Amino acid sequence: MSAPTLTTNTHSTTQTSVTSPTADDVTLRRSPAPAAGLSRIKSGLVNGGRALWRAGAILLFLLLWELGPLYLAPASTRVFLPPLHEVLAALGSLIANGQLQNHLGASLTRSASGFGIAVVSAVVLGLLVAWYGALDRFLNPLLEVFRNTAALALLPVFTLLLGIGETSKISIVAYAAFFPVLLNTIAGVRTVDPLLIRAARSLGLSNFTLFQKVILPSAVPTIFTGIRMAGTSSILVLIAAEMVGAKAGLGYLIVNSQMSFLIPDMYAGILAVSLLGLAVNYLLVGVERHFSRWRTAVGSRNS
Amino acid sequence: MTQSYVPKISLQNVGKTFTVRPTKDAPLGSTLTALDGITLDVAAGEFLTLVGPSGSGKTTLLDLLAGLTRPDTGKVLLDGKEVTGPGKDRAVVFQQYALFPWRTAAANVSFGLEGTGPDGKRLSRRERAERARTYLDLVGLAGFEDRYPHELSGGMKQRVAIARSLAYEPDVLLMDEPFAALDAQTREQLQEELLRIWRTTGKTIIFITHGIDEAVYLGQRVAVLSSRPGRLKEIVPINLGDRTRDGDVRSDARFVEHRHKVWALLHDEVLKAQQAGHTKILPDGTAPDETPQPISGKAA
Ligand SMILES: Nc1ncnc2c1ncn2[C@@H]1O[C@H](COP(=O)(O)OP(=O)(O)OP(=O)(O)O)[C@@H](O)[C@H]1O
Ligand SMILES: [Mg+2]
Repeated sequence: MSAPTLTTNTHSTTQTSVTSPTADDVTLRRSPAPAAGLSRIKSGLVNGGRALWRAGAILLFLLLWELGPLYLAPASTRVFLPPLHEVLAALGSLIANGQLQNHLGASLTRSASGFGIAVVSAVVLGLLVAWYGALDRFLNPLLEVFRNTAALALLPVFTLLLGIGETSKISIVAYAAFFPVLLNTIAGVRTVDPLLIRAARSLGLSNFTLFQKVILPSAVPTIFTGIRMAGTSSILVLIAAEMVGAKAGLGYLIVNSQMSFLIPDMYAGILAVSLLGLAVNYLLVGVERHFSRWRTAVGSRNS
Repeated sequence: MTQSYVPKISLQNVGKTFTVRPTKDAPLGSTLTALDGITLDVAAGEFLTLVGPSGSGKTTLLDLLAGLTRPDTGKVLLDGKEVTGPGKDRAVVFQQYALFPWRTAAANVSFGLEGTGPDGKRLSRRERAERARTYLDLVGLAGFEDRYPHELSGGMKQRVAIARSLAYEPDVLLMDEPFAALDAQTREQLQEELLRIWRTTGKTIIFITHGIDEAVYLGQRVAVLSSRPGRLKEIVPINLGDRTRDGDVRSDARFVEHRHKVWALLHDEVLKAQQAGHTKILPDGTAPDETPQPISGKAA
């Protein structure tokens, strides 16, 4: 990041949207008052309709799940595909006797530990790699190989080396969550607007302060995108790992119920997994959005 | 200042050469002389405007003054001492504002106040906020402290950028086409305010522009650079009489005369630059590719 290369860059960065002439530059613009309540009711109806439309596919799917096994499928398949209310009942009793909480707790502990380890180490390594070009050139080929090796392909290796206990599961989760965070951290640091670096440099900032005050904050949204992706993949990988060898966890619940022919329990486990996935994603999307507030400029303006 | 006169800024035979990356035509790479033998003194408190065809090395010169790059020949002196790097005695204002998008207007303004100041003291959070408010007020943005850059218009962003560079109280303001991306009305308004700020604060200002009108209107002297390699072609002193009185300075006979002088100086250079492939500025001083620039980078 030497100054001469940055000089050329200033000419090409026209990143700011050229706003239309503003004579009333400094005066606050007031939005026009809404005409009447009628339009409000209208927009309320539109919004309600939209919400119904958005929920429509889910409702239809649940309806099909409920009615399909009862009326459409032959009796023999019904055993393997119980209607929704049976699954919900199984879920209810799993919650009532505390089993679900146990399994959920085991899964959450593992994924949270693995995920946490991955996020911390990947952000640190990512910052180092992005900052030191030599380190990047050295590590990049190796990282490229690992990144393109599906985490689950390495599951047997983890199990052989670390046993079937917690260590191997936390490790594989950490492995799977590591790369999205790493790559996004590197990308985030790389795509810092060179003009901002110039502006900070012109103030005589030291390398460290520059990093702390300009590069890091500017990379944060991209890093959080990686963290969100890592959250999803850590749950994905964990469930698979628990299916192969574990004594607790949602993956274990699913496989174990299948083997014990407790089919509604199996579906209850699957339902729990997808709800967990949704919750985690929702949470992380919220966190990501919180940290990229300042970046949401372009789209939200003309709403 | 003791006995002898020490200029605020002194350029002594300054030259800058770039190595150009190898291309198909020149597989070994080549060198490009951007600036050649620039000698120029700027007095403390002076407002100097700098014009020249595109590619004549104006930005390169500004980078040297800011200490972002070092000259290959000659010396850049500030208060008689050689410039060896950036410092808080100088501030740069860029055409593209260069505001930190994750900081509010006030936090942008106080950016340069963080850390230890030149006197080794550290301002408290409260003092910084106070100072930010003062300077936002100075550029006419009172009440906009908590806005993020994306919530501000182009003119407001440039005001914030100017406030940011004034806030840590540098002696010298280096401005690289700061108003080029603004519409005509906003530009005129900001020119007016810049003059007001210059009069009240007594800063030394070096102001790069493509607009001949702007150069003549703002500057006490207009330095004209030749097309590449950038050499100092001439310095035109501007005398417009008492500018604080009412009336349209731009239609004053003296203004028109100065304007023509600068135009004539630029004319040949611009033609030369155009032949060399730069078309950013036309002989009449307008810059057709300046206004509707395509928005590159982030997609909406
Ligand atoms: N880092 C660099 N490496 C190579 N060449 C450079 C570099 N920076 C600038 N140049 C070249 O030096 C010359 C002067 O560039 P400079 O940006 O100073 O021009 P300018 O007068 O500011 O032009 P404009 O009016 O278009 O902004 C140009 O030909 C440019 O291509
Ligand atoms: Mg330039």
